[in-house]
Formats: sequence, C-alpha cells, structure tokens
Amino acid sequence: MNNKFDALKDDDSGDHEQDQGSPKDSEKEKPEEDDKEQNIIKKKMVVPGPGEHPLQYNYTFWYSRRTPGRPASTQSYEQNIKQIGSFASVEQFWRFYSHMIRPGDLTGHSDFHLFKEGIKPMWEDDANKMGGKWIIRLRKGLASRCWENLILAMLGEQFMVGEEICGAVVSVRFQEDIISIWNKTASDQATTARIRDTLRRVLNLPPNTIMEYKTHTDSIKAWEDFHGLVNASGGR
Amino acid sequence: MSTDCQKTTAKTIPSTRRVIINNADHMPHDYSTTPGGTLFSTTPGGTRIIYDRKFLLECRSSPLTRTPPRGLPPIPGVTSPPSKGPNEKTVNGEVENNNSISAPETSNAGEDAQFEMDI
Repeated sequence: MNNKFDALKDDDSGDHEQDQGSPKDSEKEKPEEDDKEQNIIKKKMVVPGPGEHPLQYNYTFWYSRRTPGRPASTQSYEQNIKQIGSFASVEQFWRFYSHMIRPGDLTGHSDFHLFKEGIKPMWEDDANKMGGKWIIRLRKGLASRCWENLILAMLGEQFMVGEEICGAVVSVRFQEDIISIWNKTASDQATTARIRDTLRRVLNLPPNTIMEYKTHTDSIKAWEDFHGLVNASGGR
Repeated sequence: MSTDCQKTTAKTIPSTRRVIINNADHMPHDYSTTPGGTLFSTTPGGTRIIYDRKFLLECRSSPLTRTPPRGLPPIPGVTSPPSKGPNEKTVNGEVENNNSISAPETSNAGEDAQFEMDI
C-alpha cells in the first residue's frame, strides 16, 4: 500500500513525465525509483506501518530544558536538547504524543520542538538560517491546547506554503508560554502572511492577539547582545 | 506517439488510492472529504497529503496508537513509562497525556467546538 502511494506521489509531482510518454522518459523513470528506494534503506528513515496513514513529511520530536543556574551557550543548547523520536504516519505520531506529557504540565524552563526529520531545531541549521518564526505569547493554561492545534495543522499540511515550514516549538516559561512556528525564508512575505492567517484560523485566536514575526538573524543578534557578545567581525 | 504505445511505461493518471477503514469513526463526515485524508494534486508545491484536525483526532482512537513507540527515551516528567494496561488512569487525568484527555475532545472535535480564548 505504501509503495502504491509513493508511486502516486511521484506521478503527480513530475508533470513533465506525464505529457508525452516517449521511450526516453520511461528509461529515465526506472533508475530514479530505484535510487529512491536505496536512499530510504540507507538513511533508515521511519516509514508508515501497514494500514497507517502516511504524513507528507517525517517529523522528529525534541525536548530541551535549561539547566538551572548555568548560562546558555550555543553549545550547551545543543547538548541540552534531546531527541525523543521520529515518525512517518498519523498513528506513529499519536503513539509519541500519547506517551508524552502535555506542555502545560511541564515544569521549569523547557521546550518541546517538533521539526521535520533532518532539520535541527536550531537557528544555525541550514534549513533555518535564512528563516524566521511567528511567535504567539500565551497566558498560562492555554499552551497544551494551542500546541496540539498547531502541530495537528502542521502535520496535516494545513499551512499550504509548500516546503516552507520547518517546525514548531512550545516554550514553557515562568509567567507565560510561547508557541512558535518556524519557516525557511523570512523574506518571503507571501509565505509568512499565509502562515499567520493559517495560525489565526487553526488556533482560533481572537482578532486582537499579538503575533510577532522574528527573523532568526534578529534572534541571534538579540541573543548575542544579551550575552554581551560581539561578532568576530567587530561590528554588531 | 501511438506507435510508441507498446514501449512506453507511462502510467495513467492515478485515480484510486486504497484506504483501509478499521472503524466507522474514520469515515468522513461530509461528501467533500475522502477517507484517509484528502489528496490534492494541484496545491502549491505539488501533491500534498492533507488531513484536517478532526480526522487526525479520530485516528487517535485507533488501536495502532496505544503502544508506546519503540525507543522512547525515558525522560522523567516528560515521557511517560510504558502503559501498564488498556485502562490505566492517572490521578487526575492531567499527569499523563492519555485517553482520559482525548475522550472529551474527540466527542466535540468539529471546527465549531473550538473554545473562545482571551489572551
């Protein structure tokens, strides 16, 4: 069943292969499919189980918690972040989600991250470095519900922005919680506007909710300023 | 082109995709939705597997989702230990993110059931 589904995806995505079935095209098709299969085996990616509903992308759950008393540095951030696991189907997602605490019940300074498989939840990742995020600050008590709505929309491809979505984060803080969704290209205003509108729809936010878009380069700069760091180039 | 027909392996435009329905809950609730999510072939960025919130929540009740995932790292206070039985209940239903919480949600999972939120 999965193979059939993959074949279907291939057919639709490659318009050029459909128009004229010349012999050249058909020769080209075969090795491509073989390559793809080999890649899957090589990378040992998770695949949907039999009878499960495949997702458009594989995703990975991460968890991070700031060690109390120690200032965060990029390195310790990467060390503090733990992979929980990856999934490829709706059912596999629920298996993780149902065995994880709800974000509203997390304690301390901690985050759940849900990113496409292969993208690290870090500003520096290749997929993120030109990107940014929409941030919504929530009063205590709303994080669990909003997080669930946010990730269900992401997994179900409700944002309709092609490959642009990288992942989502829920951050539990002292007085408020923050949810955010990251995309690849911060300068792409059509995409960021569409993400904002989808967020309003799926989170059912009241019209006066403040939503802030922040580029990761700005986040890095703010972080460096806060920690009293100056760029190697001397400027800021 | 017609002479090439024997050689070419070009496939017809796919029109069917088999979806196994294990549970009546997985049936779509209106005629514009297909079981197993709606497959769009002309969305921006090509084919997308799209699921709405309601369908995803319904999938949660599938028996396939009960077992903890393999290799779930034990993180105290974050990931719960493997469930002891099908009917486990935690003290107030809030500690573990489990069926006790999903049940009320699935019963009114429609788009209209969203709460009003003031931030």
